[in-house]
Amino acid sequence: MVSPDAAFDSISDVRKRLAEQNYICDDNIATVVYLATRLGKPLLVEGPAGVGKTELAKVIAAGLGAKLIRMQCYEGIDEAKALYEWEYAKQLLYTQVLKEKISEVTSGAASLSEAVDRITAQDDVFFSNRFILPRPLLQAIQSETRSVLLIDEIDKADAEFEAFLLEILSDFQVTVPEIGTIEAIHIPIVLLTSNNAREMSDALKRRCLHLYIDFPSSDLELEIIRLKVPEASEALAQDVAALIQAMRKLDMKKKPSISETLDWAKALVIMNAKGLGDEIVRNTLSTIAKYEGDLRKTEKELATFLERRKAELKAKEAAAAAAPAEPTDGSDLLH
Amino acid sequence: MDDRIVEFAGLLRRSGVRVSTAETLDALRAVGTTGIGHRGTFKIALRTAMVKRSSDVPIYDELFDVFFSGVGQVVRAAGEAGAAAQPLSQEELQDLLQKLAELLKNTDLDISELARALAMQDAGEMERILRELMESGKLPRTETNYVPPGANRQMMEMLGAADIGSDFDQILDLAREQGDSEEEIDRLRRYLERRRKELDDMLKGLLRLDKDQQHRQEDRQKDRERLLEKSFYYLSPTEIRQMRDAVASLARRLKNVMAVRFRQTKRGRLDVSETIRRSMEFGGVPFRIRWDDRRKERPQVIVLCDVSDSVRNVSRFMLQFVHSLQDMYSRVRSYVFVADLAEVTRLFKDNDIQSAIQKAINGDVVNVYAHSDFGKAFTQFHRDHIEAVDSRTTVLILGDARNNYNAPQEWVLREIKERAKQVIWLNPENQSTWGFGDSEMNLYGKSCDFVEECRNLRQLYKVVDLLIAK
Repeated sequence: MVSPDAAFDSISDVRKRLAEQNYICDDNIATVVYLATRLGKPLLVEGPAGVGKTELAKVIAAGLGAKLIRMQCYEGIDEAKALYEWEYAKQLLYTQVLKEKISEVTSGAASLSEAVDRITAQDDVFFSNRFILPRPLLQAIQSETRSVLLIDEIDKADAEFEAFLLEILSDFQVTVPEIGTIEAIHIPIVLLTSNNAREMSDALKRRCLHLYIDFPSSDLELEIIRLKVPEASEALAQDVAALIQAMRKLDMKKKPSISETLDWAKALVIMNAKGLGDEIVRNTLSTIAKYEGDLRKTEKELATFLERRKAELKAKEAAAAAAPAEPTDGSDLLH
Repeated sequence: MDDRIVEFAGLLRRSGVRVSTAETLDALRAVGTTGIGHRGTFKIALRTAMVKRSSDVPIYDELFDVFFSGVGQVVRAAGEAGAAAQPLSQEELQDLLQKLAELLKNTDLDISELARALAMQDAGEMERILRELMESGKLPRTETNYVPPGANRQMMEMLGAADIGSDFDQILDLAREQGDSEEEIDRLRRYLERRRKELDDMLKGLLRLDKDQQHRQEDRQKDRERLLEKSFYYLSPTEIRQMRDAVASLARRLKNVMAVRFRQTKRGRLDVSETIRRSMEFGGVPFRIRWDDRRKERPQVIVLCDVSDSVRNVSRFMLQFVHSLQDMYSRVRSYVFVADLAEVTRLFKDNDIQSAIQKAINGDVVNVYAHSDFGKAFTQFHRDHIEAVDSRTTVLILGDARNNYNAPQEWVLREIKERAKQVIWLNPENQSTWGFGDSEMNLYGKSCDFVEECRNLRQLYKVVDLLIAK
């Protein structure tokens, strides 16, 4: 069932291959990904926006060298957009172009009904693979190699679409009335992501393995910053990580996610900020706070953070003055 | 191991986590893939297959720890305590165990499994035996930490080892027959006595563990039930927090239902001109039929909340509820009153929902220490805001109708009813007290379409149905 050419060997293999794609994951993610690929079950990934749910699918595909097929869900998405569609325009164009050929076929027919019979005998031509437009689901099923199918933001789709999806996900086969049943050559690795805009149905949850990705721990976040924004100095990276962690504890309308952390770190590097004490830092806060109220709260948090740092530094200096030992390094980074 | 996982699924179910049979099978397959060697991996594998709601994860974590390590820990703890109190040196102990092993090989010996395992300090076997006992579900129950005197004996009987004393005597007799010296036998006897004491400790630990598990399950069930039934009057701060989550999830669920309902009624009549225009693409053949979107009138809601001390908690949840549903309605306007009335709609626009509620009911906008005067509040509403009520408006009034013998001014309510689509009055007081003392509920009730008692979450659910029914 599972093609050997696209699978992880072990949990540590998952971690290694994802790390090669610059994606750092903890035990939880690695284990669940390993199980999902091994058991051939769809994986439902939930968590706040911007913690790397979509990214996870991308790096799994890249890590396995598999093709990534992405389907973005939205309100009103239907079978025609997800599975397949007949190319009406192309069919019509062909009938126009082949008019002569068609009249050849029908020429000499004694009656109208005979002519219709003759055309009916030919209609396979127009309802064949040639005129079918495969959408993501059919693409994944027809794929020659094992593919990774990403069904993004499934919570945006309607409940009816979810039910339709269930059918596909349990059988991995599609019946096109004019052509017949198409079975999957390889069972694709399926990832569904949800921001929990609405609760997914129990039926869907039952069929999937479940993974909840939360905001990363302080250490993990620091590691991610180091990896993704190598230009940032170590002191800056640490400050950013610490401050973001503190901000997530605030009662914000939208808490800053990893992608926002990285944006901010990059912005600070571009603005050439030496440390968080710089005046420019305040102007870049809009990269992490997207609402007016949030912005005020983050500004306040930044102020208290700097206040605390100052106090710490002073205590350190006092200690250093009491026992003049090594100079306090990094102090020039802070005002 | 499979049995254990199936049992664990049962335990999860009893604690309110929905785990289906298919999911249990998945869990077995998952564990088969990862193996059970590594505890952390094992825990993740089970969770990913069985727990699909992130809010259930804390329950899972807790139960997992109790279920998969509890008994082993009890056995190990008792064993370690026993080893610490052990006067023998390591070599002496080894000798003794070796000799015991020899003795136990003797087929004439008719002693219980438990006695064997205990004598040989076989922790794995002990764990298995005790676990079976615990899972039989027949352990004696106590309400306190005090272990009743009969419990020990009862458990020993259930283990089929009621006369472990005579079992041990048999071993000693056998040793004597084989010509061991009195001194050696004495040492053996003292060793076995210590083991018995360890067993006592294990049984005690087991009882405590069982009680813990039991309580946790019951607590959770009770918590859920209680929260539904508990009167809004008597909520502790933690419960207010829990209730807040419950109300938020109720609102979310309702939104889903409503969203489906809106969509289903959305499709209207055939849109002829659009269909013809679209058909040009296909040479005039109407392949795609277009329909009108029918605009469904979204209802408007006006909420009047009494925020005097006696009903403040109910107002809190009602405001939260109505405002979480704001996009279900074309317009929500809210007012709070005690004796004076003030509009708080803007508060909800400018603040997030919880802080807006705080501000609305904390006395920032109206004096909350005044004596309730519904009549005065109603006349003020009539003077300043009656225009807001029209035939699409549902007016929701929340209060205990205790008017402190002021003029009730029920004519305002009559007029509101004439203008509005419906008037709903929610009273957080017990229905049997309506109309007594200074309660004007019966008088006001005449001018309302519905009067409902709304003292707890369950009743709030019912009211919600009323709100969206039309």
